[in-house]
Amino acid sequence: MRENPLESTPPDQTISPPSVIGPGLTFSSVTDKISSIALSRRTPLGWFIGAGISFLLAMLMLYTIGYLVLTGIGIWGNNIPVGWAFDIINFVWWIGIGHAGTLISAILLLLRQQWRTSINRFAEAMTLFAVACAGLFPLLHTGRPWLAHWLFPVPNTMGVWPQFRSPLIWDVFAVSTYATVSALFWFIGLIPDLATLRDRAKKHSAKIIYGMLAMGWRGSARHWHRYETAYLLLAGLATPLVVSVHTVVSFDFAIGIVPGWHTTIFPPYFVAGAIYAGFAMVLTLAIPLRKWYGLEQYITMRHLRNMSKIMLATGLIVAYGYMMETFMSWYSGNQFAQGLLTVVVGYVPADVLGLVDVRRNDRVLLKLDVPFRSIPADDLDLRNSDDSARSSGEGVGGKEEASMNVYGLMAEFESPTAIVAATRFAYEEGYRRMDAYSPYPIEELSEALGVHHSRLPFVVLIGGLIGCFGGYSLCYWVSAVAYPLNIGGRPLHSWPAFIPVTFECTILVAALAAVFGMLALNGLPQPYHPVFDAPRFELATRNTFFLCIEARDPKFDIEKTRTFLHGLGATDIVVLER
Amino acid sequence: MGQIFQRSTNFISRISIFGGVFFVALIIWLLLEFNRSSYYTQAFFPREQPVQFSHKHHAGDDGIDCRYCHTSVETEAFAGIPPTKTCMNCHSQIWSSSPYLEPVRESWRTGKSINWTRVHDLPDFVYFNHSIHVNKGVGCSTCHGRIDLMPLTYQVASLNMEWCLECHRNPEPQLRPKNAIFKMDWEAPPNQQQEGARLRREYNIPSTEVLTSCSTCHR
Repeated sequence: MRENPLESTPPDQTISPPSVIGPGLTFSSVTDKISSIALSRRTPLGWFIGAGISFLLAMLMLYTIGYLVLTGIGIWGNNIPVGWAFDIINFVWWIGIGHAGTLISAILLLLRQQWRTSINRFAEAMTLFAVACAGLFPLLHTGRPWLAHWLFPVPNTMGVWPQFRSPLIWDVFAVSTYATVSALFWFIGLIPDLATLRDRAKKHSAKIIYGMLAMGWRGSARHWHRYETAYLLLAGLATPLVVSVHTVVSFDFAIGIVPGWHTTIFPPYFVAGAIYAGFAMVLTLAIPLRKWYGLEQYITMRHLRNMSKIMLATGLIVAYGYMMETFMSWYSGNQFAQGLLTVVVGYVPADVLGLVDVRRNDRVLLKLDVPFRSIPADDLDLRNSDDSARSSGEGVGGKEEASMNVYGLMAEFESPTAIVAATRFAYEEGYRRMDAYSPYPIEELSEALGVHHSRLPFVVLIGGLIGCFGGYSLCYWVSAVAYPLNIGGRPLHSWPAFIPVTFECTILVAALAAVFGMLALNGLPQPYHPVFDAPRFELATRNTFFLCIEARDPKFDIEKTRTFLHGLGATDIVVLER
Repeated sequence: MGQIFQRSTNFISRISIFGGVFFVALIIWLLLEFNRSSYYTQAFFPREQPVQFSHKHHAGDDGIDCRYCHTSVETEAFAGIPPTKTCMNCHSQIWSSSPYLEPVRESWRTGKSINWTRVHDLPDFVYFNHSIHVNKGVGCSTCHGRIDLMPLTYQVASLNMEWCLECHRNPEPQLRPKNAIFKMDWEAPPNQQQEGARLRREYNIPSTEVLTSCSTCHR
């Protein structure tokens, strides 16, 4: 619903194909269709059947976990030292699956691939579930899942800390950072959508639930500005993270000295394999989903083709990895490595299919149009405008008293062009204490309000530095100070071994700073706000735009401002109570 | 569209985010404290025994040496639980008809050992050797407390690993001369720091790295 390619066209006006979404769609129709799936569509019988089957399988899983805990992890084949037992295979696979979601949400955002918008949310949801499934296996692999907190550096009665010179603890940090950042990414992307659902919901309970989750999001242009900055920063943080996660997973094997595992090809080959398998999973979910929920207009053949192309490219990298692994096993002359000659089957048929499909549709690539605009450079500080407004407002107390109970005047506009023009006029007229509300981010709107600069990048930088310094200090303190252990004569301060954990901590704290910094600077959560009293304000998350000039503005005068707003072409003007 | 929430929700929702963080921190802290509490470690809780044996009476009032019953403490990993024969050395003569001692006499008649409940029970993955500690200057009361004042026996140490490490990292404050090992009322002299360092050299106690190496205790 956000970053829509419709952004530059007026709402309720048809856009022309070819596009990443079907023809004839408008802002309101997209919003209504997508929210109706969650709000008003009757749950089909098929859903209950599917949920029932899933429930039975989940019960089967609980039964097998019970058997596992009572019997021991030997039943998984962990007794064979060179085989990847059931849990290890599942862990690596599930973590890999998740990569597609992050790739779609982060890397495709940075590469300005507009088509990601239709599929990113459910791909991110898939990532979360995949990471949760992946997380189960190391916990069960310990054989005593109730002691799983030993994996983390928590103070304990044993005086023992995790071993930061081992890739297994890097893995704990990589996977938990990945899970946290994926959840943050998913949730921050969801906030405006939750507000949309809150405003569409009919039932009071649904309004309360969506309202709490949306944290009082009201589509303010000032909020959108920080929100877009936070989202872009998160994407920038998640991109190196997603590459690091499977790299660290591959270190679990590559740093071991088992023949066939001890190889430098593992990191790139794992990452490519992860993206390959992940996109396969996105397609597996997307194809039935678009059919069952009638979303062919939103997830088009173009999405499927683009994803197939990514699968083809990463599949070829994996094929190369398999071939090199096979070749090196033979070439090494190591009889144990030769014993591990890999069987290469899985990737061939899928790639051949992909090749045929892409060859037939290869011109699709050339038609990519990218109406995404970058965050503008700053030339004026918001605080300066606030300060000047405050200082010029001194000594006009009498007028303030008259409008004591008025929050402001809310004017409604029908098109993004109209609201941007109106905001510019109001700014030129000298109004500063005002805000504009829109269903999606409009760069020009925040510029028109005089918002150019955000403190958020600085907050994220500070967060990143704290994470970086904190992560390294943790490794150093644990390994060299708290419990110095001689591991094969390695130095206590083995700084190269501390880099993965330092990196993951940097990303983690920076991502937390981005999300919580954005919320704090925006003053969220704020479920109660005077603007919600505007009678048609629920349309601010659909296809209507609002400009609110606040009573605390020194130039505010209820009659003059009303006339001024009327002159700007506002369709409806209401007085908001404080 | 109208307000969905009260004005006060703003304050409540912001506070609840901070509250959530503090709540999680509180839970972690409580769990840690629970792990250290004597409810969990069973320190200071006397165990139920088949015979109400009093160390206070035997070791304290009667002044029987520890090694009279725990015979292997200087030479073996296990200090030794005395056989019924050791009890009967005296109790065939004194208190020989006391009802409290009936389980002892029954054991003597039938040859079936008394089922004492172990008070200091380390996990099975810990290798602990009494003899090395006793021979390197760690006295009984350092770990077991004033056994000679306990009518019913309980442990005074948490037996947590951090408790073991406290001494393995810095043994000097606990070391005593050989002749003070079995003295229950031994107290560190004022110059214990120098004395401990001297005893550490004398006993040839290895470096802290060796004492805190994993395989020293987990073999």
